[in-house]
Formats: sequence, structure tokens, C-alpha cells
Amino acid sequence: MNLVLDVALATALTVLAWRSLAGPDLFRGIVMYVVFGMVMAVAWARLGSADLAMAEAAIGAGVTGALVMVAYWRLRRIAPVEPADPSPRRSRLAATVAVLSAGVVAAIGLAAVQAIGPGGIAGRALVEALPATGLGNPITGVLVIFRNLDTVLEVAVLLAAYLAVRALLGDGGESLAQPPTQRGTLVAALVSVVAPMTVLVAVYLWRAGSQWPGGAFQAGAVLAACGVLLFLTGRLRPAVEAGPVVRAALVLGTAAFGVLGVAMLFVGQPLLAIPGSWAVYLIEAAMMVSIGVTLALLFAGAAGVGGGRR
Amino acid sequence: MTPATLGSATVWVLAAAAVFGVGLYALILARHLLRQLLAVKVMGSAVFLLLVVAAGPIDGALDGIPMALVLTGIVVAVSAVGFALALLVRLADVTGSISLEDDGGGDDGP
Repeated sequence: MNLVLDVALATALTVLAWRSLAGPDLFRGIVMYVVFGMVMAVAWARLGSADLAMAEAAIGAGVTGALVMVAYWRLRRIAPVEPADPSPRRSRLAATVAVLSAGVVAAIGLAAVQAIGPGGIAGRALVEALPATGLGNPITGVLVIFRNLDTVLEVAVLLAAYLAVRALLGDGGESLAQPPTQRGTLVAALVSVVAPMTVLVAVYLWRAGSQWPGGAFQAGAVLAACGVLLFLTGRLRPAVEAGPVVRAALVLGTAAFGVLGVAMLFVGQPLLAIPGSWAVYLIEAAMMVSIGVTLALLFAGAAGVGGGRR
Repeated sequence: MTPATLGSATVWVLAAAAVFGVGLYALILARHLLRQLLAVKVMGSAVFLLLVVAAGPIDGALDGIPMALVLTGIVVAVSAVGFALALLVRLADVTGSISLEDDGGGDDGP
């Protein structure tokens, strides 16, 4: 029975990957890609990782889908003559290369499954070291304590992506998420209920992340979703310049992690040592804000935000 | 709950391989850059899946380290997508084309 479920999900993933990438209609492909991301989230849940399921649904499917969709409409405005995918290339080698690569991936995976057996050495060490940290969620333990240099650099990558996008698009951001011309009567009421609830969910995910599934990335993605909603309904307007608050929010994650990590050197601790669970909460809160603001601004293609019409 | 058996690990490895193959096939054949980007994202998902499944479970739960790596990977991937889309929009702005090829036509690709 369990195996049937696995096979069904695995087949669905493969078929959806194919449906999102084949066929002439690009818009349909993007929608199928979002569905692929959602099924991927179900697959993570099936594999037993609620953290990855949430991150995949919120970031992999949600934010990525929104980014790609916005870029699609923008491209249509720039080059309206080619809305559909141009006819695919003809190549006799493509199928061979793809099948051979899939074979290599399968061989690597099957060899790894049989060679490592139940759990790697580092994974075992994680299980043994986790109780001493006071955290209950091993992923948060790895991200914030055991391998936190990766996480600092990851937040820095997000910041670098924002800066790179700004450098490329310059002042063109305003043409993107223009406020809707007509507004439904229900939209305002809906937003005023949904937006605070979204923030509440984000704060819950942040708070839960040290013990249960959740954490800064999922919480940040939910915040970003709130930002996307506010941009789409015209409550927030893209601005050409980032105000001081937005700038502070953008660097908050990197700064909090970096300053705290370097400060530990002065009290005789190693670089990036984490002094206690309060520091985990602090760093995760800072990362949540940075991730949320950066992803929302990437969506809007804007440097900052201005207040919209109510 | 967790698929500890070798049988279901094999199923997931094969799924990752199939999804990777589909992504690579589409990456080679597609001309539209947006679709090529989606193909790379699909290949990335396959790699994430392989990374987590190949590590195997510990005491009935999944190994936390590859999961943390994949969580990091998901966020880095969305940053890369944001940057790639900006490059793409800029390219279309400057050249009016959404493909990396010259519009000479007639060539059958690599």
C-alpha cells in the first residue's frame, strides 16, 4: 500500500515535469510548473519532512511561480509578437543525452542508497548533538548552529540577487506591478482579513521553528506572500528608491547574523558561535524579515515600497 | 510514516532520475529562455529529491543534514530565478528577442 502511494506520487511528478516543459503553450507550462511544485511539496511530506514540504509549497511553487508569471506578462508587453514558445529545436541527440543522464542519476542514487545504508555518520552525530542545544528541530539546528556559515552566506546570496536585479532593471520597476485599474468590492475586505492572518502565520512559523517544523525560511516566504498580495491589490506601490526602513530590513538578516557571530570572538568564543536559544530566535526573526522583504521586492521588481491608495 | 524500505527509496531515486531526464531533454530542445529556466528548475528539484532520498533515514526519521542543505538550496534557487528573470527581461528589452539564438532560422541546433 505504501509502495503504491510512492509510485503514484513519483509518476505524477514525472508527468507534471513533462507537461510543464513540453507543448507549445508557455503559460500553460508555467501553471503546470506550479502544480509540479505543489506535488513536490506533497512528496516531501510523504517522505517525512514537513519543513521541506512547507518550503517547497511557499518558495518552490508559490514565490517562484509568482516571479515566473510576472516575468511572462512583462515579456509579453515587451515582445507581444512572440507570446508562445517558438517551435522547439530538432535534435536527434537530445533524447539520447537525456536518457543517458537519467541513467547516470539513477545509478548514482541507487549506489548511494545501498552504500550508505541507514543514515550517514554526520546525520548520526546531528541526532546525538541536538539535545544539548535545546532545539527540537534538527533542521533549525543545522541551519542556525552547526552549519551556520552556509546560512549567513545564503542570506547574503539573497541580498546579492536583490542588488543584481536592481542593477539590471534600474528604474524600470514601476512598469511591473501596476495597481489594478478596477477594484472589486470584496477585495479590500478580503485583504484586510487575509494580510494580518498571513503575518500571524509567519510569526507562528518563526516561533515554532526551533522545536517543530517551521523556521525563518518558511516564515519569510509567508511574509513575502503577504507582500505579493499587497502589491497585487495596490495597497503597496513599487518605488524607485528604497527608504531607510526597507534598506534596514533588506540587510537585517545578514547584519544580525554577522554582528552577533563576530561579537562572539570578543568573548572568547569561536566565530559564529551561538550563545543560546535567545540568539536562535533573534537571528531567525531577522532572517524572516529580510527574506520576506527581499522576495516581495524581487516579485515587484522594485527598489522599495510606497504606500498605495486605500 | 517514513519510507524506510529499500523498495520505496528505489522508487524515489528512479523518480528523481526520470524528472532530471525530462528537464534536461526540455533544456536542450526549448528555444524560449523562460522555458529553459523552468527546465533547469525542474532538474534542480530532481537533484534535491536525490540528495534527501540517497542519504537514507536515521532511526525512522530522515537525515537532517541533507534536508537543511536542500532548504538552503530552495532559497538560493529562488534568488537565482529572480536574477535570471531580470537578465531575461533586460535581454528582451534590449534585443527584442526571448531566445539566445539569432533569428536566422534553418539551423537544427547543436
